[in-house]
Amino acid sequence: MKNIILEANNIKKCYDKEHVLNIENIKIYEAAFNFLIGPNGSGKTTLLNILSMVDTDFKGDIIYRGQKVKKDKVDALKLRRKFSLIWQNTYLFKGTIAKKIELPLKLRQVKTKEIEKKVKNIAKELEISHLLKKSHNELSGGERQKASIARALITNPEILFIDEPNNSLDYESAKYFNNLFSKLIDEGITILLITHDLYQIEHYANYITLLDQGKVIKTGLYEEMDI
Amino acid sequence: MDYILSALKDAINLILSLDPEVSNVVGTSLKLSLTSTFLAALFGIPLGIIVSKIDFKGKYFLNTVLNTLLSLPTVVLGLFVYSIISRRGVLGEWGLLFTIRGIIIGQVLLIIPIVVALVRNAIHDIDEKMYKTAMSLGATDSQKFRLLISEARYGIIGALITSFGRVIGEVGVSMMIGGNIKGFTRTITTAIAMETNKGRFGFALALGIILLSISFIINFILYFFQSGESK
Repeated sequence: MKNIILEANNIKKCYDKEHVLNIENIKIYEAAFNFLIGPNGSGKTTLLNILSMVDTDFKGDIIYRGQKVKKDKVDALKLRRKFSLIWQNTYLFKGTIAKKIELPLKLRQVKTKEIEKKVKNIAKELEISHLLKKSHNELSGGERQKASIARALITNPEILFIDEPNNSLDYESAKYFNNLFSKLIDEGITILLITHDLYQIEHYANYITLLDQGKVIKTGLYEEMDI
Repeated sequence: MDYILSALKDAINLILSLDPEVSNVVGTSLKLSLTSTFLAALFGIPLGIIVSKIDFKGKYFLNTVLNTLLSLPTVVLGLFVYSIISRRGVLGEWGLLFTIRGIIIGQVLLIIPIVVALVRNAIHDIDEKMYKTAMSLGATDSQKFRLLISEARYGIIGALITSFGRVIGEVGVSMMIGGNIKGFTRTITTAIAMETNKGRFGFALALGIILLSISFIINFILYFFQSGESK
């Protein structure tokens, strides 16, 4: 069993007085492929937003590396800056791909020279150096996904939250990203991924949490689960 | 036909020789329109953001009023401003009638609804995902606001260019509030109306060509920004 990097206890979330999430406990394991699965409308994305502190309007506790996280703006921002998120059809800001990738570093007021170096390195690693001066309209679905992953990885996040990354990607691109995610885990990054892709679950999942109607139905090691 | 050709020849000569009277009228129009657009931007941009992003009581009513004011006839607005700044009006003592300042007040009132409505739409069009993405990238509240403005920048610039185009081509406010005083409050549009009536067709045509050229440049720039919207 790996170390727990992030844990959530007694999470409750309501929309218009209706409970959409009621989670007693969920654990995210360090340097592992954590999968969040479940039918549409089961609360997966809502939970992902809460765990990543993008949404702080909820009841319950988030524990990061054994420490309870306060939900005030300063602490939530501090924690958010340790994470990165990739949504399906992620919003890519206006400007060239280079501008989009460097944005998280600019928000952290990193020096320009360091930003340039990091953008160059990550682009080389993801084989998108030739795309840096293009706008996102000129990119294919797979290239856009690479750009959003480059933007997410440029801050060296401790946890990468990913919401249905392989939707609308062809087989080759999906395979590329699955291999990339595995490599990131080997490098020590924790991944929490929402997916409906059975192949991805079968071949890559270390830990799985199954949600239904806002509740955890099953959770644990993939090998020990009967799903 | 000879009459038109002769007027066109006069018009081109007036433009090429930088005729002082033509230059003065064009200068006044540009000065007025730029000042009015600048002032309307100062009030209109923040108001547009507020109307788009903040929910408050009466927002629906305000949006309906704004949309109605978009098609407000300039003479109606001229009449309204005239009734306020004329000698017997509430602001009669300020001596604004037949002055540049008076015209600017009227023009600012004319284009504020345009700035507000177009900025509101530009901000509204920004995908809700932008805020979540900005948060996830580690943006503070002020950085989120700056990103919002940056993302809507083409729409905001487009709003200002459209407003400038509206104000430089309007005649009602300039005529009723400015009084079309030569060398003082005479603008391109008021001069065209008057000089045509006086029979100085070449002079009016020169101003018409200049106004059309300005309009072309405005639309060229507007198109440039609109095409930047999708990048």
